Amino acid sequence: MKKEDSKPTLEARRGFLAKLAGAATCAGAAVGAAALGGIPTVSAKTEAPPDGASFPTKDYDWTKHQWGFGVDATKCIGCLRCVEACKTENDVPRNAHQFRTWVERYVHIEGEEEVHIDSQQDPVNINASGSEKEFRFANRYKDAKVDKAFFVPKLCNHCTHPNCVQVCPTGATYRTKDGVVLIDKTYCIGCRYCVQACPYGARYLDEERGVADKCTWCYHRITKGLQPACVEVCPVGARVFGDQKDKQSPISLFIRNNRVQVLRPDTGNAPNVFYVGIDKEVI
Amino acid sequence: MPKHIIRLLALILGVVVVAIIAPQFLTVDSFYRFGHYRANSVPEIAALEPVLQTPAYCKDCHTERHAQWSAGSHKSVICEVCHGAALGHPQNGKLPIPKDTAKLCTLCHEAMTGRPRTQPQIQVAQHSGGQQCTVCHNPHSPKIAAAVAKVAGNAAAGKQKSADCAACHGEAGISPNDTWPNLAGQNAAYLARILAAYKSGDQKDVAMTPLAQALGNADIQNLATYYAGLSCKGAAGEKAAGNLAAGKVLAKNCAACHGETGIASNPAWPKLAAQKQGYLANALKAFKAGLRKDPMMAGVSRGLSDTDIADLAAFYAAQSCQSTK
Amino acid sequence: MESIINFAPYTGWVYPNETVFEWSVLIAVYPYLTGLVAGAFTVSSLYQVFGFERLKPVAHMALLTSLSFMIFVPTPLLLHLGHPERAFNSTITPHLTSAMAMFGFFASFYVALLILEGWFAYRPFIVQQAQKRTDLLGRFYRLLTLGSYDVSEHAMRYDRKWIFALAVIGIPAAHGLHGYVGFMYGSLKSREWWSSDLMPVIFLFSAIISGVSLLAVLYVVSCKLRKIPVDLACLKGLAYTIWAFIMVALVLEGLEFANIVYKGREGVDMIMQYVTGPLLIPYFILQFAVGAITPFLWLSYMIWRGTTGRALVIGVTVCACLVLFSVFMMRWNVVIGGQEISKTGKGLLSYHLPLFGKEGALVAILLTVAPLGLLYVLTRLFPPWADAATHAHS
Repeated sequence: MKKEDSKPTLEARRGFLAKLAGAATCAGAAVGAAALGGIPTVSAKTEAPPDGASFPTKDYDWTKHQWGFGVDATKCIGCLRCVEACKTENDVPRNAHQFRTWVERYVHIEGEEEVHIDSQQDPVNINASGSEKEFRFANRYKDAKVDKAFFVPKLCNHCTHPNCVQVCPTGATYRTKDGVVLIDKTYCIGCRYCVQACPYGARYLDEERGVADKCTWCYHRITKGLQPACVEVCPVGARVFGDQKDKQSPISLFIRNNRVQVLRPDTGNAPNVFYVGIDKEVI
Repeated sequence: MPKHIIRLLALILGVVVVAIIAPQFLTVDSFYRFGHYRANSVPEIAALEPVLQTPAYCKDCHTERHAQWSAGSHKSVICEVCHGAALGHPQNGKLPIPKDTAKLCTLCHEAMTGRPRTQPQIQVAQHSGGQQCTVCHNPHSPKIAAAVAKVAGNAAAGKQKSADCAACHGEAGISPNDTWPNLAGQNAAYLARILAAYKSGDQKDVAMTPLAQALGNADIQNLATYYAGLSCKGAAGEKAAGNLAAGKVLAKNCAACHGETGIASNPAWPKLAAQKQGYLANALKAFKAGLRKDPMMAGVSRGLSDTDIADLAAFYAAQSCQSTK
Repeated sequence: MESIINFAPYTGWVYPNETVFEWSVLIAVYPYLTGLVAGAFTVSSLYQVFGFERLKPVAHMALLTSLSFMIFVPTPLLLHLGHPERAFNSTITPHLTSAMAMFGFFASFYVALLILEGWFAYRPFIVQQAQKRTDLLGRFYRLLTLGSYDVSEHAMRYDRKWIFALAVIGIPAAHGLHGYVGFMYGSLKSREWWSSDLMPVIFLFSAIISGVSLLAVLYVVSCKLRKIPVDLACLKGLAYTIWAFIMVALVLEGLEFANIVYKGREGVDMIMQYVTGPLLIPYFILQFAVGAITPFLWLSYMIWRGTTGRALVIGVTVCACLVLFSVFMMRWNVVIGGQEISKTGKGLLSYHLPLFGKEGALVAILLTVAPLGLLYVLTRLFPPWADAATHAHS
């Protein structure tokens, strides 16, 4: 046995040692490079801002706020200025199929059981505005016998237990300490699992950037003391925004003075957009 | 243990070690600091530049406009809704002034199913006949300032005073000729307003000015009350000097204020039904020429040709002054 | 300006963001491929672990098949991702609450396992080739030997233990690899069509029948190409396996659908409308009637009558093809079907499959067929034939 495999053994031994040496060199080089390049990475990770320092900006401390949003559907006139403003403010794709916020119209026609629901992606409404880049509701029911009709603005609910955050495989989407669900666009891989998971249809994939996107409650505005764009432009005050920690904020008063409800409470997501004046078939 | 097993185990061990250590080096900066995400993403998002500037930004340069806007009924509509986002303005040039106001304003003000009744809404076709909204409405303070003056005068005293007016305007407020207007049944608030305007000099007319200046405020109230209470029947129409059908089409543009058949919806504005044809034509020409001053009428009369004026005058003159409601 | 996205037509009421289909045909191809991987491995395990001796002729081919398809498994995902270059984010910082984060681990573990098991299975062959050959391939085999030419009984005993251990570990690994996909769908509460506790199990059992059917077809085809007679006992063994697992798969799928109907939750009206409308043919006719019930009945008949010879070969091959088709339809009906039913429960969308494009039909077909090319290469490098003189020890 020994004589038989002496020749290949010697050869093989040399071969193996050579391979091992090569592998060791590579590994050593890799570790060395990583050590050089990686030490800053590793140490930067552990280096957090000093405790007590304001995060995320020096003028805004996220531990001091808990944002909330209110929608008064009894006031909405369906003018869609909010949709327009959001697209402008947040560089949302200018088409009629991807929205951070949108408005739905519910119409009950006399004698019909099923409610008619339409929104900005409806071809009739796209025709009324003339293009996919402008938004308008077509006055399609003006000759119908309408029993009841109303508008409902919709947006991301920034749930307390968001299942979009749960299903993100990388950790690109997350909930901040001030209650806003955000997306890290440099980290998202564009798998669209979060888009599938959201029960409210609030998310979409930004094709140009290859990442998921959704309403951020204009985080870049609210951290500067401004209102979200949609709240700013609403001419009738159908959208309300504020800090739930502040008992006198618009949203705290809105919740306290009204009977509010949320969409799909059965999901267990605990949404933070509170509705007044919606109806049984609004989902 | 056979050689190949040992080497295999070594290989596997090597791979496992790399697999455990590699994430430490490959994980991006600031991950895991607050949770399972890259903490630095938060300030990155917070640092984005707001695009909408809000009216506070416009106020510094457009002070007067801003003041007018914030005192008017559009104060809940921010500037950028109509003019576009102000980021980069004025460095990047002017912001657009909307041209197609009929398309823009109707976004909110078209009467639509589902709109709450508290929202001012119009049936577009019947309201302006396709005209631009800015013909009548100031977009920065759009409510039409028809302050309805309260008229509470004494009709009997007015009747007494009206003796001075009868020569031109007729005994019973029905004018004897085509040039001077009927007053019978006219809206009291309008009469009071126009008399006051003649008196103060806001409105100038070679005949009316000295007469109005001789009136006291009480007289104006009394006269307005008296004439408003008179019957407008008997305003026989002269031969029409214009095309009634054409006039009817044109009158759609006037319906919002003057009513479909010339019976005004708001008592601050004059009834035109069964008014003298010649007077109406002259008045429109005067508005057009700027001799008679009214910003609203100036706007609407600007586009009227002489034929249009004749048609309109003929149409209104031919209408019944009784409301058909 | 031409839109860069395709949006889907719809009826009823759907959320505006739903008009763009996010998961395309490639996301139906992906579980199909992992299913074939898991199923093929099951055949190998039936021989290695459970001692189904009659499956010896296909045991090694099953391993190679499993490996070939496994190599191609990440491709539909990479083509689908918005940022494929960041794909490793989910492995470097896996979000453990997400089923999808498991992919990187299951996949790499499983590839390693397959390579290892194949290596052990073929070691004597590799050693022999390393010693015999002097060309480039020879260097390849020598590299694979890891420098050891020990094929003594002592070494073989270790090898056999390793093969057995790997085959045993491989079963839950394969089930994890494919089962997590089912769990990804079944655990979502946003879509009634997906949300089911049974989903991972359904995926697994349909995966098994697809993999076994694939092996049956490949075995018959390879015999024909090599002009050798088909080992009928082996083929019958495969047929029994398909037959048994079809029954379970049918029961599970039937139960799942029955549950949806019976529970009658909100949105069930739309599901019924969908299933009796646009999905009638793909679901009831193609997936069930043609693709599952027909082969089940036919196999039952052949088993009952003890069919053998040419009739058996033809029958099993056709049944296997039908099953392969049915399992693809199942993936399609779940992935695409689930997205065609709106989250609102009040509307239906319709998916348009483009022919060209990164996520089109051609790419889907290519990705499904390409592993067979790789398999061909592998069978040349590592002949799996039980009858060949140079065959590796089992």
